[in-house]
Amino acid sequence: MEKNRSGRRKFISNTITTLAFLFLANTFLLKRLNSKTRPKIVIVGLGIGGATCLQYLNKISNFVDIIVIEKQNVYQTGPLSNLVIGNILQRKDICFKINKKKYKNVKFIFENVKRIDVENKSVVFSKNLKVKFDFLILSPGISYKNDILKGYNVSDKKNIPHCWDGESNITQFKKRLRDLENNSKIIITSPDYPYRCPPAPYERATLIANYQRKLNKKVKILILDSKNSFTKQENYFREWQINFRDEIEWIPRSKGGKVIFYDQKKNLVKNSDGQIFKGDFIHIIPEQKAASIFFDSELLNDGKDWCEINPISFEINRFKDIYAVGDSIDAWAMPKSAFSANSQAKILAINLINKILEKDYIDPVFLNTCYSFSKEDRAFSISAWYRLNMTKDKIISLGSSESNVYANDNDRKLEAQHAIGWYETMVNDLFM
Amino acid sequence: MNKILLYFILFLSSNVFADQDKTINLIVENCKSCHNLNKQVTKKIPDMNNLEKEEFIRLMTKYKNDKDNSVMNRISRVFTDNDILKIADKIYGKK
Ligand SMILES: Cc1cc2nc3c(=O)[nH]c(=O)nc-3n(C[C@H](O)[C@H](O)[C@H](O)COP(=O)(O)OP(=O)(O)OC[C@H]3O[C@@H](n4cnc5c(N)ncnc54)[C@H](O)[C@@H]3O)c2cc1C
Repeated sequence: MEKNRSGRRKFISNTITTLAFLFLANTFLLKRLNSKTRPKIVIVGLGIGGATCLQYLNKISNFVDIIVIEKQNVYQTGPLSNLVIGNILQRKDICFKINKKKYKNVKFIFENVKRIDVENKSVVFSKNLKVKFDFLILSPGISYKNDILKGYNVSDKKNIPHCWDGESNITQFKKRLRDLENNSKIIITSPDYPYRCPPAPYERATLIANYQRKLNKKVKILILDSKNSFTKQENYFREWQINFRDEIEWIPRSKGGKVIFYDQKKNLVKNSDGQIFKGDFIHIIPEQKAASIFFDSELLNDGKDWCEINPISFEINRFKDIYAVGDSIDAWAMPKSAFSANSQAKILAINLINKILEKDYIDPVFLNTCYSFSKEDRAFSISAWYRLNMTKDKIISLGSSESNVYANDNDRKLEAQHAIGWYETMVNDLFM
Repeated sequence: MNKILLYFILFLSSNVFADQDKTINLIVENCKSCHNLNKQVTKKIPDMNNLEKEEFIRLMTKYKNDKDNSVMNRISRVFTDNDILKIADKIYGKK
């Protein structure tokens, strides 16, 4: 017992030392900096990427001004949202308000940012109010392409909510799912790459099947896919074979999965071969692009859908002192996930501190692990480490690997526990 | 053997993380995504706070060498033994 405690003490002191290498050892420098000017750092978006930057930058909040701007008072996470749809968790379990007590020196503004005034280094709100910045971090997530699927308008409230961001009405989605009659047909369209959380459409289909079975309803779920393969495919196929053989059917692009037309009134979609699919519940997962603020502020290169950044500093190409992180960036080999956004944001914050202190940047190392559930007690994952290529202008994968397709029940259960454990650690660190 | 495969194996077996202290710091920052290194916030992931350094090294080496494809096996298999020692130094201090 005593041994453990001493180990723990040592452990904690060393954890503090780890941070000290960055922060405390630089107190002298920071004080000098403080006496000249206090740099003003503005963070837009308090989701996973923004909150991670905040967590790290908060450690120097005595020496810099930090302002966080977020349009929503309550943040609903993407991770575990499919478990809410599948009635395993409740919505309140995935909703968080930032614990301001943890961030005493930080100013929070809950407003929608209209655009960035690059020339004047300021953030512009809807009522044309402005906040100036020295350094700006953007982590506003994604927006949707409205011109890919004829007949589909992302903001049409009569559609089944797409539930691909924290603003979507997950409660309404569940109500419409619950209201389905026996023998209903559910159609889910899965978008083309790149999009937020590549395995999530298949996790959603699986957890909907699981939920309907608990309601004693027979349903047929058709996944119409814009792609010919998808991440963790073999693991999903295995889970469907074991548990949902009669419920779920996947149609790849090559077999007519690419949907090009949607008729809300007639409840149908049409594929590129003109084949019609009728459904009682048509769930379109829209094609995606970076958040609208990038387009409205002209921060993207011509014709690009995602923000191009320097992979060491995360500074946006061509825009000095403006940084972007998370789902809105083109992160080369890294998928758009909360785990990735969290890992990237740590590097952004550490290297921004290095920049402020006029120290060298550290070459980044990133990690991603993405869990998927097929039932409350069954999950599997994919993970990979990432680093820079030789010319240091790209993020490359060191090779991703997945859970064993033939994993036994215990292994699936253990991964389900790890998935929840990862989530609890992350939201505790960021929001609580 | 396929040349590309050989390069790939060489690439993996030579220290993928360049063995720099700063890189090790960043690896530890990534460990924290699942393992809170200050307090236990979840019972669903093994708590590293009460481990002794030797036990940590033993467990990490076991994860790395086990062929069980667990998430920790997949995450630790890119580390060299030296990486593991350096990570342990970073987290639990040098003796
Ligand atoms: C169904 C589903 C399941 C998922 N499951 C997982 C999973 O299991 N594991 C995983 O790692 N990832 C998962 N994800 C992905 C994860 O949600 C995202 O990758 C992650 O949230 C990205 O973080 P971000 O900071 O880029 O964006 P977000 O977390 O979306 O944060 C963006 C924030 O910016 C705010 N904002 C946007 N525009 C403005 C503006 N103009 N003014 C002010 N504020 C603004 C938004 O309100 C939001 O709070 C899932 C996603 C979905 C949809």
